[in-house]
Amino acid sequence: MIEIDIRLPLAPFRLEVRCSLTANVTALVGRSGSGKTSLVESIAGLRRALGRIVIDGTALLDSDRGIDLPPERRGIGYVPQDAALFPHLRVAENIRFGGSGRERFDSLIEALELAPLLDRAPASLSGGERQRVALARALMTHPRLLLLDEPLASIDQPLRERILLYLRRVRDLGIPMIYVTHQPFEALALSSWCVVLRDGRVAADGPSRAVLADPAVSGNVENVFEVSDPHHEPGLGITRVTTGGGLALLLPYDQVVEARFPLVVRISADDVVVFGEKPSSISSRNVFEGTVASLRASDGIVDLTVTTPEPLSVRITRAAAEDLSLVEGARVWLALRSRAFRIVG
Amino acid sequence: MPHIILFTLTIAAISTLCIAPIALALAAWSWRAGAKGMVVDALGALPLVLPPTAVGFVLLEILSRRSPIGGFLERIGVQILFTPKAVVLACAVMSFPLMFTAFRVAIETSDRRFFDVARTLGASPARAFIRVTLPLAWRGLLSGMILSFCRALGEFGATILIAGNIPGRTQTLALAIYDRVQNGTEHEALALVAWVVGMAWVLVAISSVLIAQQRKRLAA
Repeated sequence: MIEIDIRLPLAPFRLEVRCSLTANVTALVGRSGSGKTSLVESIAGLRRALGRIVIDGTALLDSDRGIDLPPERRGIGYVPQDAALFPHLRVAENIRFGGSGRERFDSLIEALELAPLLDRAPASLSGGERQRVALARALMTHPRLLLLDEPLASIDQPLRERILLYLRRVRDLGIPMIYVTHQPFEALALSSWCVVLRDGRVAADGPSRAVLADPAVSGNVENVFEVSDPHHEPGLGITRVTTGGGLALLLPYDQVVEARFPLVVRISADDVVVFGEKPSSISSRNVFEGTVASLRASDGIVDLTVTTPEPLSVRITRAAAEDLSLVEGARVWLALRSRAFRIVG
Repeated sequence: MPHIILFTLTIAAISTLCIAPIALALAAWSWRAGAKGMVVDALGALPLVLPPTAVGFVLLEILSRRSPIGGFLERIGVQILFTPKAVVLACAVMSFPLMFTAFRVAIETSDRRFFDVARTLGASPARAFIRVTLPLAWRGLLSGMILSFCRALGEFGATILIAGNIPGRTQTLALAIYDRVQNGTEHEALALVAWVVGMAWVLVAISSVLIAQQRKRLAA
């Protein structure tokens, strides 16, 4: 349980954040300049904010009681956006800077696959390798909370996939994480809770799926699934997978054949086609029956949430919604084109 | 002549080594203190802009028997004025601003984020400074020490006031050149000038290379 109630003057506005987080992974979402980095720096103790920060009953900051622990006594692992590896130390020395435990070192090297990099200089590493080293370095301190500032921002698509895999392994270690991102689908890939910052204040917070399904928050709405259990059928060009919520999906074989599972994929709400009746002959391989759970109309656009085994977000024009006479509770069929899926990682 | 050169090099080296820890501590404090550190920054840079004779005069007053400090030193039997110690003192005070300012810049350009990250990894401010900031700034620090050494080689105004110009005892290169010109033995002055130009040129070149390397390394 992390309770945050802080104030910090910043250049164009004042950071004023109040929230309490219980999820294992919380995504901190917002546009650049919304105060995300300043907030995580305040939590790490690198900025002198006023107010309260309490983690599992331990006060790191409590201005009323005169408590403001220095960063080295907060027990918080921080991985900045560019990893900030110490340039004068080799990879192994960077990792050991966080702590000297032999067992911990060995298990992190194995989990993050760092063995081939140990003797390298940070300058010779790729963006993804740097992130992994910085992650191991922060984890060596046995942090009570891990702060990740846009770990995928400077990493190309094929590598993102791997970093997300490592981040899921860290998540599974049970260390609470706050994950900063400006990409809503990244937030969905890892987090169960989401805090949206705008101009230094909490614009929304709640379960990630609910918060990020709001088009006002994420701009374009995405459906994100963590899929596993792949069955490749190269001859047909498809790969059968199952989502965490039990939805059976067909993905294009050529795009996922080299991926590691579990894999996170996304499809835009704009790429879901709605049918009023069961479509009989259709090229789309993913057709699901569902019920309209909610319906929200604005400016000629209608955003639907449809309950299939997993809730799906759908975005259609008002004309289409009227033509299909969509109301809450209506029975519909959804078609998701296999090739409209994008791999998050 | 060789002994004048050797004596000057020794004095400059001792003076540089004496002020390095003080300059480093003050530069580190001022860096951490942010806005408050500007008072120290200004004070540290003061001898750079004052006439060396003014600094020499202040030192002379402080060390004279009439002052509390001078009186105390006399009672415990320490003689500074007009001894080689006075030369070291004059060089140290006059070359301090160059070293302090160079240290300040070197630490500032070492990127504070590394220091911050080291602290999130459990390092105290002192440990983070020694293990991360110093190793990243060493080229700039060394360059500052070299500049300060060169300044000490050429120190004249404050030295002549508190150490005099005693051949074989307090006469440095700069004082010897003045002496030779006064005496009309200009060919000797010229030889000394050639020496000092040569040494300073090599040292300043090394210092510039170090600064360029530090910039390059931090840009990478």
